[in-house]
Amino acid sequence: MPYRAAVVGAGITDATSPRKQQLSAVELCQQATWAALDHAGTTPDTLDGVVVGNIDGFEGTVLGARNLTRALGLGADLPVTIINTGGTTGGNLMQVAARMVRSGSHARVLCLGGPTFFGVRDLQSAINTNSPMIIEQPLGMGAYHMGAFAANAYRQRYGLTPEDLAAVVVADHEKASRNPHAHLRYTVTEDEVVNGRPLSSPLTQPMVCPVSAAAVAMIVADADDVDDLRSTPALIRAMGMSSDPYLGGGKGDFAEMQNLATLARRVYALADVRDPAAEFDVVEIFAPYAHMQPMQLEALQLAPPGGGVELIRSGATSAGGSLPTNLSGGPKCTNAGVAGELAPYAYAALQVMGAAPEPIQVPGARRALAHGTGGTFFQFENLAIFEALPRSDA
Amino acid sequence: MTTTPTQAVHWDLHYDIHLGATWSRFMDGLRDRKILANVCPSCDRVFVPPQAYCESCFERTDRWVELPPEGSLEVFTVAWHGFRGGPTPPYAIGGIRLDGASTLLMHWVIGLDFTEPTTLLAQLPAGSRVRAVWAPQRTGQILDIAHFEPDRD
Repeated sequence: MPYRAAVVGAGITDATSPRKQQLSAVELCQQATWAALDHAGTTPDTLDGVVVGNIDGFEGTVLGARNLTRALGLGADLPVTIINTGGTTGGNLMQVAARMVRSGSHARVLCLGGPTFFGVRDLQSAINTNSPMIIEQPLGMGAYHMGAFAANAYRQRYGLTPEDLAAVVVADHEKASRNPHAHLRYTVTEDEVVNGRPLSSPLTQPMVCPVSAAAVAMIVADADDVDDLRSTPALIRAMGMSSDPYLGGGKGDFAEMQNLATLARRVYALADVRDPAAEFDVVEIFAPYAHMQPMQLEALQLAPPGGGVELIRSGATSAGGSLPTNLSGGPKCTNAGVAGELAPYAYAALQVMGAAPEPIQVPGARRALAHGTGGTFFQFENLAIFEALPRSDA
Repeated sequence: MTTTPTQAVHWDLHYDIHLGATWSRFMDGLRDRKILANVCPSCDRVFVPPQAYCESCFERTDRWVELPPEGSLEVFTVAWHGFRGGPTPPYAIGGIRLDGASTLLMHWVIGLDFTEPTTLLAQLPAGSRVRAVWAPQRTGQILDIAHFEPDRD
């Protein structure tokens, strides 16, 4: 590989509900961008590209990303690359930026995710327009309706109860309560989760992510050209993306995440990870709905089939456990669209950089796994492995 | 309480999506109460709805078969909460494995007692047999199948 790519800076704004947010999308993106530049210890003139995303239909414009970047105040000559892969847009930003850096065409690229769900009044209607036209769209499915298919299939396969799904939510909220950037920072009980408003069986409202307003930015740079920076780089040791068929009915089995399992094998091989459960110090995965985190832990070989909930209940995935997972509270507690999808990458990179928010930092974290997913019936998956790259001049 | 200044933007757009040869044949079949699928010549998987190419083998799928209007319900969800422009809740959407199909067909499923929300999975456990119910007026669209109903025979 000619060049190595690393995350050298990340900025995450505090999250709010859209109703309470006083800033525009551009203003939030500016905050995140300048926080990332400040973290890296650099200025916009060292950037030579921007990778930014939007999701058609969610923002009342199809030109959101183009106009956004222009208004950031970074300079007039920055080439902009726009990613639009629906719900995985944010997760794919770093994948694209890292390819640009690895190829040698760019040396320092800003990845920017804005608050994509921020303005849409009829979010589930907008999401239904992303469901396959002609065949599946007439049936009426928003995001959590599609998510619920897997929740029911998984429950039936392993005999899980609503309380089992609720246990995942309880753990996520407990973690989010300690993350200063999180949106839902209150704790919940299993009873409150199980008895929440039913949305699409078996999911209740507390089992489903909120709509948040926040922005996330990261700087991906040539890992061997960091002398002018002050952060500890997070080397992107391995990464990859994978896709299922477009039609929801093309999935082989809703009770397991086969596409993610395939991708994990590929990415682990690239990083020479042979015993995943033992080799990661911290994990951040895109799990907006209660059933997703246990299923993803299983697909990632971090829990045995059907054992994801038990692992979460055991405390292993909590702070101080053997496999701290989603210490940010995850998208279950903060989901700002493209920003929400980029967030697992930002938090995982910050962990190995030693720069996560102090209450959620895993002491001495050196290797992290980050994950994103989205699209119709979560057809797209993306993964990356970060490793701390101690500076030779430190 | 601070106010958050917002101003409304509204989209109301119509589109005509070209079905192409493969989905047109499928839709013509529905009008005649037939569920047509096609087959990958390389891996022999049977696709319903049909698709012009096999996504695994990248082969043209030019062999057609008719599937029976019956199959197994592998998974479903009950939408308790709908959305603007969507169907009126509650409604159940299922993934149905028609006999002989390699893919699932998504469609509405009826026959659930929505007044017993805690027993939904027990009412139609994975693998329950279901049968397509044809709409009386068929115009060549997916809702020419009105829904699937449990096959309790």
